[in-house]
Amino acid sequence: MDVIEFQDVKCVPDVVHTYTDDLNSIPIVIDNGSYYCRAGWSTSEEPLLIFKNLIAKPRKERSKKDTNEVIQAPPLQVGNDIINIEAVRFQLKTQFDRNVVTHFEAQEHLFDYTFSHLGIDTDKCIPHPIVMTEPYLNPNSSRQLMSELLFECYNVPSICYGIDSLFAYNFSQSEPSNDALIISMGYHTIHVIPIIDNETNFENTRRINTGGFHVISFLHRILQLKYPAHTNAITLSRAEELLHSICSIATDYREELKRWNDVDYYEKNIKKIQLPYSVASTSSTLTAEQQKERKKELARRLTEINARRRGERLAEDEEKLVKLQEIYELWEVHNDAEEFEYALGENGFESSDELEKSINLLKMRIKKTKQKILAANSAEELPEEPPNKQQKLNKIVFENEKAMHSYVQNAKKLRQDILSKKLSRKQKKQDMAKRRTAAGQERMRIISQLARKEKGNDDFGMRDEDWDIYKTISRDGGDSDSEAENEKLLELEEVIKTYDPTDDADSLAPAEAYQLHIGIEMYRAPELLFKPYMIGSGEAGLSEVIGYVLKLFSPEDQLKLAGNVIITGTLSQLPGLKKRILTDLISIRPFHSITNVTIMPNASLAPWHGAKAFSNTEICKNFSITKRDYEELGGDYLKHHIASNWYTPTPKEQLVEVDN
Amino acid sequence: MNSEESKVESRPVFKCSSFINANKPANKKRAWKSLKQIISTERSLPWPEDHIHYSSINAPPSFLPAEKFSDLSGLPAPYTDPQTRLRFANKEEYSTLLTLPMDITAGYLALRGASSIVG
Repeated sequence: MDVIEFQDVKCVPDVVHTYTDDLNSIPIVIDNGSYYCRAGWSTSEEPLLIFKNLIAKPRKERSKKDTNEVIQAPPLQVGNDIINIEAVRFQLKTQFDRNVVTHFEAQEHLFDYTFSHLGIDTDKCIPHPIVMTEPYLNPNSSRQLMSELLFECYNVPSICYGIDSLFAYNFSQSEPSNDALIISMGYHTIHVIPIIDNETNFENTRRINTGGFHVISFLHRILQLKYPAHTNAITLSRAEELLHSICSIATDYREELKRWNDVDYYEKNIKKIQLPYSVASTSSTLTAEQQKERKKELARRLTEINARRRGERLAEDEEKLVKLQEIYELWEVHNDAEEFEYALGENGFESSDELEKSINLLKMRIKKTKQKILAANSAEELPEEPPNKQQKLNKIVFENEKAMHSYVQNAKKLRQDILSKKLSRKQKKQDMAKRRTAAGQERMRIISQLARKEKGNDDFGMRDEDWDIYKTISRDGGDSDSEAENEKLLELEEVIKTYDPTDDADSLAPAEAYQLHIGIEMYRAPELLFKPYMIGSGEAGLSEVIGYVLKLFSPEDQLKLAGNVIITGTLSQLPGLKKRILTDLISIRPFHSITNVTIMPNASLAPWHGAKAFSNTEICKNFSITKRDYEELGGDYLKHHIASNWYTPTPKEQLVEVDN
Repeated sequence: MNSEESKVESRPVFKCSSFINANKPANKKRAWKSLKQIISTERSLPWPEDHIHYSSINAPPSFLPAEKFSDLSGLPAPYTDPQTRLRFANKEEYSTLLTLPMDITAGYLALRGASSIVG
């Protein structure tokens, strides 16, 4: 089985495109999606800019806040300027709240980025009409703010809004049929949009508030929980990569689960993903031999130092002894009292007795030191080797392989026993600590019974067994991990290590320890789209909503819609999606009725291409909102066309009159 | 203010210099209106009868019973551990479940949206 490695694709900063004269008044087409933004001229073949709708705003350092110097604003990273998203994960901002633009300051930064990378350098205006996507049923207030930003900050001549999936459906394909059921799978939401006779049916459209973002976060979290040791290495970007590289949608999720339950199938189909790792280069590079050498060397140096010190002390003492003996001789031999008194005073002695005492002391010390030196020299010749534990163990000689094997097995079994005993003790301790568990309640019951005992016939403690009750109700549950047990465990582990080195679980190759094994997860994560209850959402899943929407129509219309189901959005690239939706659809449709499911080709860029095609038609010119419309008819004004939202002017808030 | 001057200088040429976003909340602490706030404002307005707005097209609640899957493996899970409230599929999973620390079990519950005591 091949091991897959992460690509960890980095963003490439966008180039600034040249702004040429023939671009005069050419519309700018922007597909402003909640994940990617695609922008380009209506004359360009493909979008010139594709970037994630994100900005990273590093925080100002607190300490620098009060200084009066010019504050160097930390560089703002926008879109593809962000090379490594994970590095700035916590500073990321987007203008979107779910699929609606709400944060217009961020939107302004992203427009700055878009327009400057398109190379526009005209003074105080963008002299190009804008064709832009907006979310399905965009709230009026959001559109108002968007128009305000574009008209007043960028001075654009006109704007035309449309819905991304409708642009894709109506204009990116050559002959859209009159009726369709569009399933638009976005980053935050999935829309099921019925179109009857070229009219978008807003009333019966439904939106599932689960999208690619949720699938990615779900996958991210299950992998993190499965591999707690690699929590930091499993990043959102990597989860996203996994979603696009290995995940797919099961045609029948239950069947798929059954297959994975089989060990052989699991072994055969498991995907191994290699996380990046570096081999820890610590003391382990030294072999046991080298370590021994090093220890010996250290010991040798220590004895050398000691010997030198002893030698020095010996010399010092001998010198002093000679001096003192000279003084003593003054008295004994020469009988020179005056000179003797003087010498005594100079050396700090009070009387001749004291002098004699210190001479004896010195003699003793010299003798001792000499003995020590002798001992040290002999010790150096025969360095003592401490008996090694492993050697002791090796002394056991087995008759044959089989005997050894059974011995090791026995040791393993003993170890397992101790381990499981420890585990159950731990579990019991946990249980005891909690009130709701059976063990905890039993304990409380005994305690209350003990307390209730009548005072009259208190014979508690007469028998020794009475005291055992305290063992039962102590939080340890009577026995705790004993010292002897721990020692035994260590010993057993030593034994197993000696005879069966392959047993050690830690001896796993480092590459293997850094592998993620992904089995059911590759179906489990995308399954979220069909079962939002897997993350606790109460909404119906995709197939159920499709069925629900179809039921809102007459049987004839249902036939039309089910006969032309079209899936768009980047998520539609997931393998198996078409088959799954078709299967689910057939199961709810009448027998032998026509059902067709198509995945829109180039689904990720189709809205941009649709909007581009739209911008080159006459309709676009007629349905654009000019600055004059904006000023006269209100900020949220919209002219509706085949691919747009429906405009209802925001009602004036009525003053509620209170009747008396 | 110095910082403001430098900001104006770095403005791209195509931007109208006088534009200050009037809707920017004056209080810096308060962010832009969230979608939730926008929706609730939108709902409270006296729209005409047939108007459809953002929150009227939310998907219906699921009418199908939610299947139970093991939190650990994702397999169909007939059992629930009364201690941690985690679902599991077989006894091997149960024995791994016993060794899981609190933060992992809590993480699984939070992921399923079942961490509230009431639920």
